Amino acid sequence: MTSASDRLELSRLVHRFGFGPKPGQYAELLGRGIPAARAQILARRPHDPGLNALVTPPFPDMGPAPSDPTASHAYWTEVYNQSISVAMWWMDRMVLADYPFEERMTWFWHGHWATSINKVSFARPMKIQNETLRKHALGNFADMSRAMVQDGALIYWLDGEENSVWSPNENLGREFMELFTLGVGHYSQNDVHQAALAFTGYQVNQTSGAATFLAKQHDFKPVSVLGKTRAFDARTLSDYIVSRPENATFIARRMWFRFISTSIEPPSSLAKVFENRDISQLITTIAKSPAMRRPGVSQAKSPVEWFVSACRALRITPSTLPSSGDVAWMLDSMGQFPFNPPSVGGWPYDEAWLTAASTQYRIDMTWYLLQHGHLEPLTSVAKGKMVEAAADWLGVPQWSTRTERSLNQALSDPVRFATLALCSPEYLVSA
Amino acid sequence: MSTCDFSRRQFLKYTGAAGAASIAPTLTASDVAQAATVAPLPVGTPILVIVTLYGGNDGLNTVVPYTDSTYIAQRPGLSLGASEVIPLSDGLALNGTMTGFGSLWTANKLAIVLGVSYPQPNLSHFTSMAIWQTGSPVEEISSGWIGRYLDNLPHDPFRAIGIDSTLTPLLAGEHRVGSMLPISGLQVPTGSLATQMQLLASSSRQDTALTADAADSIGDLFQLSATVGPVLKNAPPSSASPLGQQLDVVGNLITANVPTRVYSVSLSGFDTHSDELSAQGTALGQVSDAITAFLAQVGATPRANDVVVMVYSEFGRRVATNGSGTDHGTSAPVFIAGNSVAGGFYGEQPSLTQLVDGDLAVTTDFRDIYAALLSDVLGTDPKKVLNNWPTKLNIITNAS
Repeated sequence: MTSASDRLELSRLVHRFGFGPKPGQYAELLGRGIPAARAQILARRPHDPGLNALVTPPFPDMGPAPSDPTASHAYWTEVYNQSISVAMWWMDRMVLADYPFEERMTWFWHGHWATSINKVSFARPMKIQNETLRKHALGNFADMSRAMVQDGALIYWLDGEENSVWSPNENLGREFMELFTLGVGHYSQNDVHQAALAFTGYQVNQTSGAATFLAKQHDFKPVSVLGKTRAFDARTLSDYIVSRPENATFIARRMWFRFISTSIEPPSSLAKVFENRDISQLITTIAKSPAMRRPGVSQAKSPVEWFVSACRALRITPSTLPSSGDVAWMLDSMGQFPFNPPSVGGWPYDEAWLTAASTQYRIDMTWYLLQHGHLEPLTSVAKGKMVEAAADWLGVPQWSTRTERSLNQALSDPVRFATLALCSPEYLVSA
Repeated sequence: MSTCDFSRRQFLKYTGAAGAASIAPTLTASDVAQAATVAPLPVGTPILVIVTLYGGNDGLNTVVPYTDSTYIAQRPGLSLGASEVIPLSDGLALNGTMTGFGSLWTANKLAIVLGVSYPQPNLSHFTSMAIWQTGSPVEEISSGWIGRYLDNLPHDPFRAIGIDSTLTPLLAGEHRVGSMLPISGLQVPTGSLATQMQLLASSSRQDTALTADAADSIGDLFQLSATVGPVLKNAPPSSASPLGQQLDVVGNLITANVPTRVYSVSLSGFDTHSDELSAQGTALGQVSDAITAFLAQVGATPRANDVVVMVYSEFGRRVATNGSGTDHGTSAPVFIAGNSVAGGFYGEQPSLTQLVDGDLAVTTDFRDIYAALLSDVLGTDPKKVLNNWPTKLNIITNAS
C-alpha cells in the first residue's frame, strides 16, 4: 500500500522532471518505491529506445531569398513551414522519450536563454541552438554559457550583429548579465556598456546560423567589468561572469523556482551545491529536496507541458497529427509555442496560464487530441474503476471530491471522461 | 527583421482561424439572445483603456524635438526632420506616421504628458515594466495597480478585461484578478460536457492556491462566455493589425454595454536596438491608427464621452543612437486620449543636454497620471491603490 505522500512526490517527479507518465508508468514506478523511481526518472541513457521512432526532418541552410516573386513566395512558405516543423520535431522528442529528463532540462534552458524564431526567422539556427542546449543541459554551466555567447541565433536575437567597435550595442551585454547569469541588481549601467564592448565583433549568417568572429569589428581595448579590467572577449567575459558567486545564487534560485515553486525560498545551502557549476548536481539536489514531499508546493503546467504530457498519455506523436498548423495555432492561442517566447525574459508561469481564455483553447485542444488518441487505460477497466484508473494513467496523486463528482457523471462516455480529466485543476496543476 | 516580411505570430493566427473554429461544440446564433444576462453598464460611466507598448518605446522619436540641435547631432541617420514629423507646438512634433494622433491633437482630445518615469529609473525591461504595472517604484510588490483597484470591490469577472490568453500582471490584485479574453471571442462546450465541466469549477477543500485558480478560470470562462461570447461572435475583429484587432474586441464589448470599467491591450516590438526608424515608425503608425479608429467607433455611440485611453511603455531610450537604433533609457511621453481629455502638453520636456546619469531627467512621476485615472475615470480613491500618493494631474475635464 503506497502512501498519499508517495503518490504526491512521484507525481511531482514525473511531471516536473519529465513530461508526465506514459500509460502504465506511474503505477509501475509507484510499485518500485520513491528512491528507485527517482533514480529512473533522473537517469540518462546514451541511447533512449523511445526515440527510435523519432523522425528528424532536414533543416537545410535556406540561403538568400530569391528575387523572383513566385520563387520568393515558395521560399517564405517553406521558411514558415519549417518554423512549425522544428517545434513539432522537438515536441515529438518530449513525447517519445522513455527517459525525458534531458529533454525536460533542454526545455528549461530554452526558457532561460529565451530566443525567438519570430526575429531569427529560420529553423536551422534555432535547431543548432537547441542541440547546444541539449548537449549542455546537464553539463557544466560555464561550458553552456561559453557556447551560448557564440551561438548564432542568440547573437542575432540580441543584436550582437549590430554590436561593433564603432557602434556598441548594449542589448546582449545587458540581457546576458540580467537574465542569463547574474540577475538584475548585480551590475551597473557601466558594467553593461563595458560588457557590450567585450562582446563586439560577431557576424551571423542568418540562414545557416553560423557565427563568425571578425577581428576588425572587435574592440580589443581592455574593459572594466564588475571590478576586473582586461581585454575580454565574449568567451573570457562569459567565463569571468559565470565564475562570480552571484551566478551560483542566481542559477540555483531560478532552478528552484521553476522546479519546486516560487512560493518557498530555496535552502541557503543550495548555491553551494552549484559551486562547480555542475548542473546535474544542482538539479539532482533539488529533486531530492524534502520540499518535494511538502503539501501545497504546486506549479501550473505551461501549455506546452500540458500538451506534451497529454500526448504521452494518449500515445500521440505530435507531428503525425493531421494538421501541424492547427496544433501551432491552438498552442499559440494558449500563449506558448516552442522557439517563440514572447520576449528574452521567457514565458510567464503559474497563475498567468490559468485564465478563461486559455481554458477555452485547452478544451478545444483536448477535444481535438481525443479524436486521435488512445483511451485503453480507461476503456479496459470496469466503470467502477475508471476514476481511480485515470489518476494512475495521468499521474495525478489524488482527485479532489469536486473532480470525482464530475468524472463520475461521465463514466458512460470515455471521450467526455478524458476531456474532463485532462482539463481538471488536478491535471493542469502539479499539486 | 531584415529579410522576413511577415509576422509569424500574426500568420499563425491567420492560418489557424479557418481550421480550428469547428473543433469544439460552439454556441449557436440563437445563443445571442443571452447577451443581456448581466446588468449593462449605464451610459455615462467612464471606461479606461490601457495600452501597453512592450520593449521600451523611444520617446524622442515619438514626440520629437525635431529642431533641437543636440537631437540632430546625437542621432545621425536616426533623427526625424521637419518633413518627417507632424509639428505640434513648443518645438515638439509627432512622429510622421502618427497622423491619427495629429488629428486628435488638433481636436484637443490628446494629452501628452512629457518626461514620465519614476525616481531612479531602472533600465531592465522586466524590472521597469514591473514597476509601471505594479505602480510601486520603491517597494517591490506583486500586485498590479488595476488589480488593487479590483481588490477594493466585490468580485466580478467583467470589471477588468485584458485581451490576450495569458494574465497581464497589471490586472492581478492581492485577492482578485481581471479576466483575459482571446481576440477570437469565447466558445464553450454545450450539453452534458458543459454541465460536467462546470462541476470542475467548484472550489474544493483539497485545493492549493493554484488548483483553486485553475477551477476559477473554468468558472470564469462559462460566466463570461454567456455574455461576451455572442457579442464577439456577432462582430469579429475587422482590423488588420494586432493592436487594431484587440481594440475592435474592446470597441464591440463597449458598444454592447458589457459592464467592464478597465480594458488592457498591448503591442510589442518597441525594443529597437537596431533598424529603429522603420520598425518604430511602423509600430507607432499602428498605435495611432488603431486608437484613432477605436475612438471613432465608440465616438459614434452614446458612450462617446465615456472612454479614456492611456498609452505607455516601460521606458524611453538613450539620447544618442548606437548606430541603427537606441539602447535603454529613462523618461518618455505618455499619451491620454478621449473626448473628456483636456488636450495639450503636461509636464516639462526633459533637456537633451542637462542629463541625469547620462540619461533624460524625469519631470513627471507616472503616479500623477495613475492618480488622475483612478480618481477621475474610475471614481476611486487613488491613495488606496497607490500607497497614499498625494498628487495628480488634472487631465480629465468632466472630473467630479
